[in-house]
Amino acid sequence: MDPVIKLEDVRKTYQLGKVELEAVRGISLEINPGAFVTIMGPSGSGKSTLLNMIGCLDVPSGGKIFLKGKDVTKMTETQLAQLRGRTIGFIFQEFNLIPNLTALENVTLPMIFQGKSEEERKRRGAELLSSLGLKDRIKHQPAELSGGERQRVAIARAFANDPEVVIADEPTGNLDSTTGKKIMEVLTNFHNKEGKTIVVVTHDPNIAGYSEELVNIKDGQIVKNHVQAQKSVWEK
Amino acid sequence: MGEIKEYFKIAFRNLRSRLLRSWLTVLGIIIGVFLIISLLSLSEGLKTTINQQLQSLGGEMVMVMPGSSEDIFSSLMFGGSKLEREDMDAISNAEGVDEVLGFSYSGTIIRYEGESKQAAIGGFSPWKEGLDILSVFQGWTLSDGKWPVRSNEVLIGSQVANKIFSKEVKAGGEITIKGRKFKVAGILNSLGSQQDDSMIYMDMEVYQSLTGDKRGTASYAMVLLQDGFDENTAAENIEEKLGETRKRRVGTEEDDFSVITSEKMGEIAGNILGIIQIVIIGFASIAILVGGIGIANSMFTSVRERTREIGIMKAIGAKNSAILWIFMIEAGIIGVLGGVGGLLLGTVLAEAVGYYAKLNPSFYFTTTIAPWMIVFALAFSFSVGCLAGFFPAKQAAKLKPVEALRRHE
Repeated sequence: MDPVIKLEDVRKTYQLGKVELEAVRGISLEINPGAFVTIMGPSGSGKSTLLNMIGCLDVPSGGKIFLKGKDVTKMTETQLAQLRGRTIGFIFQEFNLIPNLTALENVTLPMIFQGKSEEERKRRGAELLSSLGLKDRIKHQPAELSGGERQRVAIARAFANDPEVVIADEPTGNLDSTTGKKIMEVLTNFHNKEGKTIVVVTHDPNIAGYSEELVNIKDGQIVKNHVQAQKSVWEK
Repeated sequence: MGEIKEYFKIAFRNLRSRLLRSWLTVLGIIIGVFLIISLLSLSEGLKTTINQQLQSLGGEMVMVMPGSSEDIFSSLMFGGSKLEREDMDAISNAEGVDEVLGFSYSGTIIRYEGESKQAAIGGFSPWKEGLDILSVFQGWTLSDGKWPVRSNEVLIGSQVANKIFSKEVKAGGEITIKGRKFKVAGILNSLGSQQDDSMIYMDMEVYQSLTGDKRGTASYAMVLLQDGFDENTAAENIEEKLGETRKRRVGTEEDDFSVITSEKMGEIAGNILGIIQIVIIGFASIAILVGGIGIANSMFTSVRERTREIGIMKAIGAKNSAILWIFMIEAGIIGVLGGVGGLLLGTVLAEAVGYYAKLNPSFYFTTTIAPWMIVFALAFSFSVGCLAGFFPAKQAAKLKPVEALRRHE
């Protein structure tokens, strides 16, 4: 099986004034289709930088990233936008919903950029939101929703274009533990039901417990990469 | 193109989310377009009014003035040279000329019922025939009294009767000019120009004896053409005869007189109005430009405020072109709204002026809103909007997604 995501000696350097900061120092990694991978590490370990590069939001300073066999480091901005829209779904710690759009409009927005018809957008959006228990909230704006509801809207948005890979950066970071647990269950469900590849970044070992594969990062390098049995219990 | 419709929706929503700021920006454009439309419609109206007056002058009358046509206004304003007796004869002898009416004017002090005021006196010759010509071809009519018959009788313009003196001057009243008493025989209805209405008209001989002006016989001449004679041919004939006479006397080849037909007068007026319109368009364009800067300002602020939002949109698959479209549409909407608003306000003002003019016939004015003005105002405001929106939109489109997402407001 070809990996859906393949990293070859990926590096990322930031120039902070006169100081050069190496956030990611030569990471190589393969993620198979349908895998549930957690990238774990303390803050400042470079895990979010890595995730941004996997999600094509950022370009590496060195090395290569292949998404479905294609080298993304050689793509133009337009091609990258296309790739993000079709192949990748994003879930952020701060939810990142557009404040003046309703829940449904937030979910259908990625489909607009892919040129889907209004009918199809509305049907798919309503379907996703109902499956996440937000049927009565589709007309509400983010400010009228609770944190958990907002993150569920964001999850629905991430799955809107039926992407192969869903990337989540500290998805429960802004939620209390009960809500966080529910969100992780939703993600696990999507993973089990639709066989999507899910990559989660976290510093929380409880989150890591949900995944099949765990990648530990420290100082921009992989320190441990191992497969673990998926746990469905939230350890407190 | 289905996306564009959605971009419009997003743009409208964004404008709505900062309603006050959007309207203030629109207001900037409204003022600019309002200025353009109202000023242009007024100047267009002025043109129409002048053309109407020139048409009432008809094809039968031609004006002859000393001084070349280039500085015709300075010679009208400041007098300058005059037409001599032999010039007048030359004009009379030109083919196609029926009658020549010489006319001179100057300012002096007039006394009426113990009150002294500055006014203008004008003399023309021949006096009796002149009055006939003016009443038939120029539409001179009396509001009171009768046409003068004796040499100590004068005609006064409507402003002289009503405005100059604190007491109204009535027909049959007595005014004193340079110590000589004159009887006001009749009062003219408004002739359409303040200058003409502020004048006291008399026989040229009386005028010359009052002013001591013996050198020239006329400041300018009005020429009545023979019935059906082409005014341009007649004008050429006059130019030729007058040229010969003046060359013999002054000894230069230069044309120091001008023959002005109603057509040429229209041209001159048109040129002046053209300049006025260019100046108006220039100033109003500056107003719209300032409005455009307002749009750019508002859009730049908006890009800053929504940097994170732009990052989100890019993360979920928006191409640079999509972001560019959304911001350009926002700016374009502001421009068009401003254009339509300014157009409406400008039209209302023009209509109001037109309506007022209809109610008050003495307010001799019409306003015109030509289709080209509407097209111009809308196209201009839309393009200013797009242009003003382009740079902020470009800036927004160029943002790197990861950097935009990191921005916390």
